[in-house]
Amino acid sequence: MKTLYKTYFSVLTAFLILTCSPVLAQQSDFQIQQDYRTDISELLNRVELAVTAEELEEVESEIDALEQQYSEYSEIINAALYPETFTGMLSNLRGIHQAAYNNLSVIEQLNEQIVVLSTEMDEFRNRLTQMTQETTSLRQQIERGEANEQRQASLIRQYRQNIEQRDSFVAEFLQELLSKYQRMGVGTQQEIAENVDRLDQNPLDMIRTIISEYIQIADQSTGLQTPDYVAMRAQHGYFEGVWSQIDQRLTNTFAPDRPVETRQEISDMLAAWLASVDNKLWDSMSTAFNQNGINLQPFVSSGDFYNSLNTFVDRAYEISLESNNESDYEVFRNFREFWNTTVKASWGEALITGNILTPAQIAAIDLKLNDWGEAAQPTSNLMFILLLISIAVIVLLVVLLIVRKK
Amino acid sequence: MVIPLKLLTYNFPKAMKRTKTLHVIIIFVFVMGITACGTSLVIQDVDYSQPLESVLTPAADNQIHDQRYAIKFSISPVLQEEGVASADEIRLIRNRAGYYFITAPGFSNVYVFEPDENELKLKNKIEITGDRLGQPAFNQRNTHIELVDRASGQTYNIDQNGRR
Repeated sequence: MKTLYKTYFSVLTAFLILTCSPVLAQQSDFQIQQDYRTDISELLNRVELAVTAEELEEVESEIDALEQQYSEYSEIINAALYPETFTGMLSNLRGIHQAAYNNLSVIEQLNEQIVVLSTEMDEFRNRLTQMTQETTSLRQQIERGEANEQRQASLIRQYRQNIEQRDSFVAEFLQELLSKYQRMGVGTQQEIAENVDRLDQNPLDMIRTIISEYIQIADQSTGLQTPDYVAMRAQHGYFEGVWSQIDQRLTNTFAPDRPVETRQEISDMLAAWLASVDNKLWDSMSTAFNQNGINLQPFVSSGDFYNSLNTFVDRAYEISLESNNESDYEVFRNFREFWNTTVKASWGEALITGNILTPAQIAAIDLKLNDWGEAAQPTSNLMFILLLISIAVIVLLVVLLIVRKK
Repeated sequence: MVIPLKLLTYNFPKAMKRTKTLHVIIIFVFVMGITACGTSLVIQDVDYSQPLESVLTPAADNQIHDQRYAIKFSISPVLQEEGVASADEIRLIRNRAGYYFITAPGFSNVYVFEPDENELKLKNKIEITGDRLGQPAFNQRNTHIELVDRASGQTYNIDQNGRR
């Protein structure tokens, strides 16, 4: 059976060669080179119009087929194309094809990046909206004050937790931005910048939204205390730190038409956010110190606050040096207690992150506190009294001895 | 060598005069022969062949200009000879021997021209077919020119002497 098929194919092939050969012989050399030029030009056109890598892969196999088809006429084609050559034209076509393929690959990768970025932005936006709704609902419940004291405390706790969750969520977002854009090459930045219109929401929009909502939270906050505002300021400090590292890249990438203006706009928003937080923070801190019997001079900035602390400690130290009594020592103990257990232990990290106090400033207060402690400690009169008694006893014994001798 | 003036003006006898004339003629013939030998330099086996035919569109004044192979002439005499008013395109090729072969769609003949100073002389008019050629095309082959009529599928092998 196999032999029969082989014979059949051999006869068929021979027949085809015999019947086709006159047709081949009737070709015009001029037409062949014309066809070659047309085919090359058609393929070039297809390369230029290709919008997917798949299309270009098809064209590549057609270039191979073209080369195979015309290679036997290469001499005629060379003569016709002089000074160009058959292989030269093909190489040129392949070069253009390769460049187009590379470009399309980059564009396709970029498209994928844009899709991923869009999805991330959507997810982030949804989560943030959900958090905002929860925060607003909790705040409204607290403001209505309908619940009993225990329930109210629970609502405030939830409200605080909600703000903390938002902070950590925003921190994650910022970390992602930082890792993605801090080391981004100029080429990739430009490519995204050219396609930024395709994004419904870009990271800059998200940053604007986040800051606006933070301002709103700070302005409308209720039932919060100093640690909450200190944490807010810390969040602001962290945000500002990350922004300063990626502001140029983000604005060049996502606001390529007006990067400087956008940077200024976001800086202004950050300043407004800080003002809103500070507005609540200094009042709350002042109240917290007062409630613990520490009357600091009024302060409305980090510098003022540090000066007030210094002034308070310096004055108390001077008083202790002068009077050195138990009540002064009580003032010292009260301050030390509040400083160590509340200011340093509870607020310390946030105070540093929020640029309220630096570690050096905290250490300086600690040193002054030590001096104050030594100065404030009341000294005992017992030894002096015992000395006097001893002298009196000795004098008495001497007198008695003299009297007995007489 | 200084020839004394006296010797130059001296009147030679008649026989000596004849000999002198003969010498002048011999020298003249010798010089002419040498000169003639100089112009007889010939380069053999020159290949004039165009690898591909030229397909040329006549201008309004029937001039055709092959810029690649640098030739320009009027096709009017050929059209007149062929008995057609005009041709959309002219097919032109030169064979190894240097003869130009001209035809066009609608022609019945291939015209073979021999180049000369500022002119092309008709060497041969090769009748191809009783009918007219539909889509003629020339191909350069080693020993001849191949004429293909792509309309009819016929192939003819020709050279300056006619069909082979």
